[in-house]
Amino acid sequence: MNLNEESLQKIAELSRLKIDPKDIQNFLTDFNKVLNYVDTITELNVSSVSDEDLYPNEGNSLRADKAQEGLSRSQIESFAPSFQNGYFVVPKVIET
Amino acid sequence: MKELWKLKYSDIKKGLNSGEFTPTDLIQSLIARIEAEDSKIKAFLSWEKESIVRAAAESTERRKSGKPLSEFDGIPIGVKDNICIENTITSCASKILENYRSPFHATAIEKLLAKGFVLIPRANMDEFAMGSSTENSAYQVTKNPFDTARIPGGSSGGSAAAVAASFVPVALGSDTGGSVRQPASLCGIYGLKPTYGTVSRYGLVAYASSLDQIGPLSKDIDGIIDVYSVISGKDQRDATSKNIPAFDPSKVKELPWKGLRIGKMKITSEIEPDIAKVYESLLAELESKGAQLVDLDFSLLSNSIPIYYIIATAECSSNLSRFDGIRFGQRKDPSGKLEDLYVTSRSEGFGKEVQRRILLGTFSLSAGYYDAYYGRAQKARVLIKKEYEGYFSKVDLILQPTSPTTAFKVGEKTSDPIQMYKADILTTSVNLAGVPAMSVPIGKDSNGLPIGLQITAPALHEDKIFGFAKMISDWASKVELPETIK
Repeated sequence: MNLNEESLQKIAELSRLKIDPKDIQNFLTDFNKVLNYVDTITELNVSSVSDEDLYPNEGNSLRADKAQEGLSRSQIESFAPSFQNGYFVVPKVIET
Repeated sequence: MKELWKLKYSDIKKGLNSGEFTPTDLIQSLIARIEAEDSKIKAFLSWEKESIVRAAAESTERRKSGKPLSEFDGIPIGVKDNICIENTITSCASKILENYRSPFHATAIEKLLAKGFVLIPRANMDEFAMGSSTENSAYQVTKNPFDTARIPGGSSGGSAAAVAASFVPVALGSDTGGSVRQPASLCGIYGLKPTYGTVSRYGLVAYASSLDQIGPLSKDIDGIIDVYSVISGKDQRDATSKNIPAFDPSKVKELPWKGLRIGKMKITSEIEPDIAKVYESLLAELESKGAQLVDLDFSLLSNSIPIYYIIATAECSSNLSRFDGIRFGQRKDPSGKLEDLYVTSRSEGFGKEVQRRILLGTFSLSAGYYDAYYGRAQKARVLIKKEYEGYFSKVDLILQPTSPTTAFKVGEKTSDPIQMYKADILTTSVNLAGVPAMSVPIGKDSNGLPIGLQITAPALHEDKIFGFAKMISDWASKVELPETIK
């Protein structure tokens, strides 16, 4: 299948990415090349695969529910782009 | 000063343990080598000389006082830039993490430090481990030490080139679809992709969680066995880690030639003739020693690249959603609106290949396409696993060339993503099945470029791979690593 520009823009929006308008044609061409390549899997017969095969019951990997030391506030602050009074700062999202 | 950088891993280990030289002597020699030659190779993104020298000095002190942490104390190890080291930049060769200093160690790093290894970060890579040539790094293209006009393979190209150029005797990479084995093959060294779940992924920046596995690269098999035995084993912090102990190197034994069942592949037009020739002459010699060659039908595996790209990109679109400019990494905030902060931080932070893979993953997970692509790829993955189970009911090991080509020229495949993806045509199915495989150098082509052999074993049978690699070590010794870089 081939994606058109509108569909590609929709997927970009879902991915929180913006494709530069001058790159859009190249991006679309490359993307469709890749899509056509992976499209071969739509022809594979997978009817023999059961749900049990797909989701084998291997049990959960659990650890004791014990509190452990995590990162300190100063460590978090050191790599956060913007941090104030114990909070990550983001642009205003609620109109007042 | 003696040129200690020329020594292979096993000679370095011997020399340190016999007291022939100290970790400080060794690190000084390697530093001189890196400073003289890395401007041509560009294996490292940056490296903090002072802390490396300090770590070696501490190791020297421990050895002097008769209290080494282990037989490995003082052995230098290169580290790919997607494996977290506390207070060290871990950028994944991406602009979005340009200044990110990890606040913690990856489990593999903790284990290496506990044994006294000296860490040499940050080996260059394809951005977020996405690529087969190390041309997708946001910072620099690493060159192949056998020919600097060529790529070293990827995504662990920095780690492989650093070993081949004798900057470090051993290095860590990560392998999602061949990212340790293919560069190992193209750089004439050993590279292991362990059984999925045997090495903790805690602290490895995730690309595709169900496929990624940290693996070692080395000039000799002992480096692979030692590092794997140190970094493997159950980790409570990684729910996908198998509940088994670390690999026991005493399990490695040479196998009897007589009756050894070896699965071989039919050579297709995709395999370069020089590679086919070396591969077939090795098989003929194995047969003359008494091994039994079994033809395997790999036709289902020819679908593995499409299956791999659907699954890997779906997981990457999810994993990379955490890079939104809010909690860590680069933030771009042009308009003061939250949505724009996400979009601009990600669009300017991620390179083109990463964006392409995020988009493909979002597409295959989106409503209307999920069943046809992602759901079907998951089912097809089960078929690949079953195919391997079928092979291993007939053979002990599978041998294939690791890469269909030797190292290609810088820029040769960058304009065609499909050609680039096909570089991993013989390696991706191994990750889909979760089985272990290793690339071993077995010869050179007519241009003097290395050729690698991929040895694949059933899950948890790294011992068979190592035993077999030792048995064919004469072949590997034919590949002389470059001493003087062209």
